[in-house]
Amino acid sequence: MPRAAEISVNEREFILQGLKENIRLDGRPFDAFRSLELNFGDEHGVADVQLGKTRVIARVSAEVTAPFVDRKFDGIFNISTEFSPMASPAFEIGRPTEAENILSRILEKAIRRSGALDTESLCIIAGLKCFSLRADLHVLDHDGGLIDASCIAVIAALQHFRRPDVAVEGENATIFSIREREPIPLSILHHPICVTFSYYNAGGIMLVDANLAEEQVREGEVVITMNRHGEVCQIAKYGGVSVDALALLNCTSVALEKVKDITKFIQRRLEEDAKKRDVGGLIAELSAENAR
Amino acid sequence: MAPQALLSPLHQADGSATYSANGYSVIGAVNGPVEVSRRDELPEEAAIEVNVRPAAGVGGPRERHLESLIQSTLRHIILTRAHPRTLIQVTLQVTSLPEEESSVGDGSGFSFSSLPVLPPLLTTATLALLSASIPLSTTLSATLVAITAAGKIKCAPTAAELVRASAKVSSLHVFAFSVGRALLLAESEGDFEFGAWESACEVAEDACCKSVEGMEVDGEVENGQEFLRGVVEGKVGREMRWRTAA
Amino acid sequence: MPLDTSTYALALLRLDGRRWNELRRIHAQISTQAAADGSSYLEMGNTQVICTVTGPAEGRNTGAGRSGGKEGEANLEVEIGFAGFSGVDRKRRGKGDKRTAEMAHTLSTAFSSLILMHLYPHSTISIHINILSQDGSILAACINAATLALVDAGVPMTDYLVACTAASSPTTSTSAGSDDVSDPLLDLNAMEEQELPFLTLATVGGGEKITVLVMETRVRVERIEGMLAVGIEGCKRVKDILDGVVRGFGV
Repeated sequence: MPRAAEISVNEREFILQGLKENIRLDGRPFDAFRSLELNFGDEHGVADVQLGKTRVIARVSAEVTAPFVDRKFDGIFNISTEFSPMASPAFEIGRPTEAENILSRILEKAIRRSGALDTESLCIIAGLKCFSLRADLHVLDHDGGLIDASCIAVIAALQHFRRPDVAVEGENATIFSIREREPIPLSILHHPICVTFSYYNAGGIMLVDANLAEEQVREGEVVITMNRHGEVCQIAKYGGVSVDALALLNCTSVALEKVKDITKFIQRRLEEDAKKRDVGGLIAELSAENAR
Repeated sequence: MAPQALLSPLHQADGSATYSANGYSVIGAVNGPVEVSRRDELPEEAAIEVNVRPAAGVGGPRERHLESLIQSTLRHIILTRAHPRTLIQVTLQVTSLPEEESSVGDGSGFSFSSLPVLPPLLTTATLALLSASIPLSTTLSATLVAITAAGKIKCAPTAAELVRASAKVSSLHVFAFSVGRALLLAESEGDFEFGAWESACEVAEDACCKSVEGMEVDGEVENGQEFLRGVVEGKVGREMRWRTAA
Repeated sequence: MPLDTSTYALALLRLDGRRWNELRRIHAQISTQAAADGSSYLEMGNTQVICTVTGPAEGRNTGAGRSGGKEGEANLEVEIGFAGFSGVDRKRRGKGDKRTAEMAHTLSTAFSSLILMHLYPHSTISIHINILSQDGSILAACINAATLALVDAGVPMTDYLVACTAASSPTTSTSAGSDDVSDPLLDLNAMEEQELPFLTLATVGGGEKITVLVMETRVRVERIEGMLAVGIEGCKRVKDILDGVVRGFGV
């Protein structure tokens, strides 16, 4: 099995020296994200996120199943993250790496456990039928910041997704296809966004959104998930260099600022996409008026 | 919609390509030649590993079947003996499906054939291999052919056409040809006469390899091989701009 | 079952009779298993953990090139097992369980930065933890037990890594009246963990610097400061207790 090339000693020294002189290799300030791009597919629920050279596609799909016996009133929501050799030859299919485990755990905690999606609204008939939602995450290009990019992609895809409409009569539920009835958006309670901070120089230097080379030379990291209302959904610092408590509190305030920016960006892109989709509808409406 | 392709959209992989046609979009990446595990190592040639990943869900038997078809086809066009004891990894990720196919999963019980996605996968794999500069003996172009119950042959039908005539399409065929018009892959399903298969094969060969001299007025008439050539020429042209400008 | 905060408000005592800043009883022993290079047994209230350390020794898969550790450093392996009888429901946690894998990852990255790994290139240090009884603060108990076992094994470390949990409960002081005020709690048991937002934190040698910080529940950002402060204070006390255990063994 091929292994990812480790960063060379010279490159490591170069990056660290640069950081000590307040310079990042790509010229960004220490607390800046790379350029973020977000595109939606032709279908609902497909979000393509590019964070610098990192590229992730999230795809949300729904089907109707029976709910879990112990959770009769809840729908099912799963996030599936499987790395493919596309992102890096070191990723092998069917053998999850540690990075993959951590990514899926953090997304699970950030999005599922924090109750971002109202699973009760996915219930059709209690105990019999519910929507089972799955978000598939495809990592196409890996240049660091996978957790941040993946979280943005899943949140954007969930907001973009429309589930089929249903009508319930007693024990029978009719699920209408997209052609029959306008599908409806999911009920999302809040929008958690992850921000990763990387530490260098024994915790003295803190970077936001490190790229792959910077990730390989970092001494520790902390992933903070927040929503724009100032709630922290998850913090994960799995070791590495020790940091002052005050520095960590400072991270949360930086994260809050970034989260607000990103949430606003997603919102803007969603509105633009909605406008693009609506063009046909608007013209059709206008022409109908003219005919009358 | 005319097929579209883009070479080397990804940074991390050695070679990559996106290709979309008939509502299918596929993104492919090739890593190679890379280190191979002892288990898969072949003493005199490169091992080829193909991974097909569906748009939604994890791969199942259907993907494994497609992988084996693609792997055995690519094995014959890659000059594997040039890189003994190495691995060439081909990863193909389906990114979008035609609406007809993606909505079939809503529990209506009708399963969509696995053949329509095969030609885009093969084309993407070829483009990605070209992008990774893996030595090939020939390029490959593939197409789907449907034969209706009435005996009509339809080349490269869209998913909408297949579903609409769901009752009428009696067989589906995928053919892949090399530049030298050699048949590389023939995969069929449904019931059909041998004569019908032969004529379907001819139609496919025309679609893939027939030269269309003097007919270039109509831009649509472009065979599969010319399409590949055009994509690569376009990329080389763009990359060599600095030289031509001087 | 919701936490009965009314009792807390009246008597300023928690369900198990503790005050807000009180640790549960910590009882620990080291060198419990003669066969292992280092071992420990730790109780934090009703949470019970045993830990064994093997190594530094030749690893199982070194030599084949997949040592996992960085060049010229030792490799740290962590395995965590939950006993079938440890929890309330007899649910088996398989080896592929992501939560267990995450805990193992936490321990291995946290201790990698503390152990002087460069002294043992091409070797493996493995930590095996078995959880005998679960009653909250499991990750913290694992970290504390691993610290003791590593000390017992004589693996050179810069300092102790000590951990505890801290939570934030709705305020009981009637004077403040605003929603922002909350009362922090120290060292949670399983029942409190289900009800309250909490975090697990680990500090080096009971100092001010935080090595591990894991929080899984949603909480207002203002509440974190209080939780951290209480947690750091708790870690200091845990350090003294663990230090006492080690010194007591030496006598």
